[in-house]
Amino acid sequence: MAELFRRLRYLLNRRRFDRDLENEMQFHREMSTGMGHAEFGNLLRLREQARDAWGWTWIDRLGQDLRYGVRMMARSPGFTLMAVMVLAIGIGVNVAAFSVFDMVALRPLPVPDAQRLVRLERRSPNDYGSEISYPSFEFYRDNARTLSAVMAVLGIPPMQIDDDIQGTSASFVTPNYFTQLGTQAAFGRMFDPRVDGAAGSPPVMVIGYGLWQRRFGGDPGVVGRAMYLNRKPVTVVGVAPYSLATLGGQYPDVWLPMGEQPYFFDGSGVLADFDTASVRMWGKLAPGITPQVAAQELRSLTGELRHRRPTAVWDKEFIQVSPGGHLQILQPAMFQLAEIVGVLTFLILAVACGNLGALLLARAVQREREIDIRRAVGASGARVFRQLCTESLLLATLGAVAGLVLGCAVTRIALSELDAPKWLSAVPDIRILLFTLGMSFASAVLFGFTPALQIARHGRHKMTVRQILVTAQLAGSCVLLIVAGLLVRAAHHALYTNPGFGYERLVSIDGQLKQHGYPASRAGEYLERMQSRLRTVPGVRSVSLVLLPPLGHAVSYSDAVIQGANVRVYPNWVSPGFFAAMQIPVLLGRTFTPNEEHVVVVSRSFARAQWPGQNPLGKRVGDGNVKDEVIGVVADAHVNALNDDDALEEYWRAAPDQMNGMALVARTGGTVENLATAVKSISESLDPQLFPEIRSIQSLYAANVSQIESVAGAVSLIGLVALSLAGVGIVGLVSFTVRQRTKEIAVRLALGATSNNILKVILRQFSWPAVIGLAVGTGIAAASSNILRRALYGISNLDLIAYLGAIGFLIAILAVSVVLPARRALRVNVSKALRYQ
Amino acid sequence: MPMETSPKPGMPPGTLTMLILRVLQSEALHGYAIAQRIHLLSRDILAVEEGLLYPTLQKMLLKGWVTAKWGISENNRKVRFYELTKKGREELKDALSDYHRFAQAIRDVLRTA
Repeated sequence: MAELFRRLRYLLNRRRFDRDLENEMQFHREMSTGMGHAEFGNLLRLREQARDAWGWTWIDRLGQDLRYGVRMMARSPGFTLMAVMVLAIGIGVNVAAFSVFDMVALRPLPVPDAQRLVRLERRSPNDYGSEISYPSFEFYRDNARTLSAVMAVLGIPPMQIDDDIQGTSASFVTPNYFTQLGTQAAFGRMFDPRVDGAAGSPPVMVIGYGLWQRRFGGDPGVVGRAMYLNRKPVTVVGVAPYSLATLGGQYPDVWLPMGEQPYFFDGSGVLADFDTASVRMWGKLAPGITPQVAAQELRSLTGELRHRRPTAVWDKEFIQVSPGGHLQILQPAMFQLAEIVGVLTFLILAVACGNLGALLLARAVQREREIDIRRAVGASGARVFRQLCTESLLLATLGAVAGLVLGCAVTRIALSELDAPKWLSAVPDIRILLFTLGMSFASAVLFGFTPALQIARHGRHKMTVRQILVTAQLAGSCVLLIVAGLLVRAAHHALYTNPGFGYERLVSIDGQLKQHGYPASRAGEYLERMQSRLRTVPGVRSVSLVLLPPLGHAVSYSDAVIQGANVRVYPNWVSPGFFAAMQIPVLLGRTFTPNEEHVVVVSRSFARAQWPGQNPLGKRVGDGNVKDEVIGVVADAHVNALNDDDALEEYWRAAPDQMNGMALVARTGGTVENLATAVKSISESLDPQLFPEIRSIQSLYAANVSQIESVAGAVSLIGLVALSLAGVGIVGLVSFTVRQRTKEIAVRLALGATSNNILKVILRQFSWPAVIGLAVGTGIAAASSNILRRALYGISNLDLIAYLGAIGFLIAILAVSVVLPARRALRVNVSKALRYQ
Repeated sequence: MPMETSPKPGMPPGTLTMLILRVLQSEALHGYAIAQRIHLLSRDILAVEEGLLYPTLQKMLLKGWVTAKWGISENNRKVRFYELTKKGREELKDALSDYHRFAQAIRDVLRTA
């Protein structure tokens, strides 16, 4: 310990101690020369040796190396700028990707005890339910001792404020929701668990900050104002704060206490029904309780609940407890996606580093003289190596700073573009800084280590190293290009594919009959009256019933195996007029007739997959005792799977007992707005309690397309970055290698070789790296892109065009970068080239 | 640049430290005097190189075996005198006993083998 302090004293007073040493040695020298003794050695060197004992030499050397590195960089600003830019792109892409992951999954919500918040979901070996029935929630809430609080959220279709045409998004939450999150209202108050939603207390609502700005112009006087929500009077008690943090990242415009659900939805029994999974459940662990302990207790509670209500619990059900104090709960599929993105972005960095490494190697040739001199005056290989590594670290640090700025700028733009929750900021937190540090170190190793080793060893194997570099770069670029190509192809495919149905001037009308307590028979009557009234509206061409309306909230599918292939089948239940209303052509056979049973209509792709080359009419499908006969084949129409080109469809006739779940589609010759107004007035006269959700399929479709467009844009940008990095790197490396052989080419020419011979020799040098690099890259891409399958909108992950495009592009680049410098080399004046070196 | 401070061939490792400790036992000396003293006492056989002396002294300072004080030399020059500390005396005792033990062992082997 004392020794360490003494060492530190030496470090801090280095100058003084060094002067002491110098004086002392000077004295020694004078004495020994005075006495006629042997000569004293080099004073500076001796002092250095003595100083070594203090153990701080490395700091001095680092300082020297850094100063030298800065001088070297300043001397070639072009190279430095290029290197920093390449690194900034490589590191910036990674920082941006990691920032997004950090925001979504790692950054805790800005609420008290965020780490104690947990998401509670129903699981069993075979089933998963994001929602649970409200009475079950109450059971867990009242009995769980390992949870200090349990919250529930009930999502509902948009509600109507006063006489608005446009609906407003709304959610019911248990009144403890905001007290548990510690939310302070911007104006007024949030919910009070003792009062709000309790029987007999006046109906209240809290409005979101965005709605407050848009609809009420930010007027604080809105607090206390009485309004109508779905025609029911309600009082605004507060405005949610601007930077509101919520569970699961949900931001409805209107917040209502759970207890008011029956008030707004007359006749609804959702809050008392054990069999309807309706709410999302969240909890807060009691202090000191781990999620495992809570899961254990919930497991036994589930057993107790099964005892009381056998139908409310699945076989082998348990409650899954996962961390809930982040923006999103990561599902395994999202983790997989994060992994893919992570690998791809790291690959971009690797390719960038490969380019930089090649540049450094190329520069090493220019620096050969300088390094030779350093060796000549006594620098060892290790010392040169250390010097070069320091220079790389310096570059990496600059690149990391630039990359951090770039990454954060990109994240900031993305945040504002994506309408992200306002509490998120693009300011890097400690995790992002550490990540950037790690990335800069990794990149320094990636681009600096091999060249430094090579140069310090006074490279005899430069050729081999360069060939390995070319191979690695080709492989990395190949993977990047193929994946980028696949994504771009997929996005464009999704953009320009006909969805198979006429989405223009089409509306879906969903009255939410079941939620309003309609039994099936009454719902049937209601829908019948609604349809006949709609048909009389001027401009309306056709009307039909459908269980799962196009681009709806709910999607249903089943995965099946047909003829050995995995397929996804989307079923739907419709009335006979559906195909006409949706403009889906009937290709074979007919559609349903009224009151027909055990018949089914399938899509063309379904028929082709199931009965290739046969007449599908009259075939039977289904796996129960009663099979359904195929009476018709219609064109493919991905009504509920707009982005899945492989989707297969089956249609059944809507049965009378499904009526309270049915929605309507209507096609008009006029404008959608007029139709919407007509629907509202019809609905008003049929049942004033109902507020059907009217959605324009055309605008939903447009929203979907613009979403794909932005994805395609982002992907194209990444592809472009990958493309330019790959291009620049390969051209630089290969053409440099060829230029280096100018002398050799001159010798060969002098000895009588023809241009063709020489070109062949040079090409041969790169044929193996090219073949191996492309093969490895293609292999990796093919193996890993399998995971991308679902994201590819129906493009095969082995899409030939993407693969051939990438490989062709790389070969073309390689050829250009070999042939151009080689031609220049061939045109040289032989005697001049020989004399020059 | 490799900068070993290993002793001259012929001088076993650690010996120099022991010798310095020993010559400092009776009085404080400056660097040149230490080298001279060792040279004289060994009847001109052991020459202490400066390149070895000063790094060793620095190490000993760090270990706390000696302290350095500026004083005036015999020819009226300002120079640094090294003085043994209590810890240095203990170290010398240990080093000597180790040395004697080894020397005895080597003599035993040479005599009987």
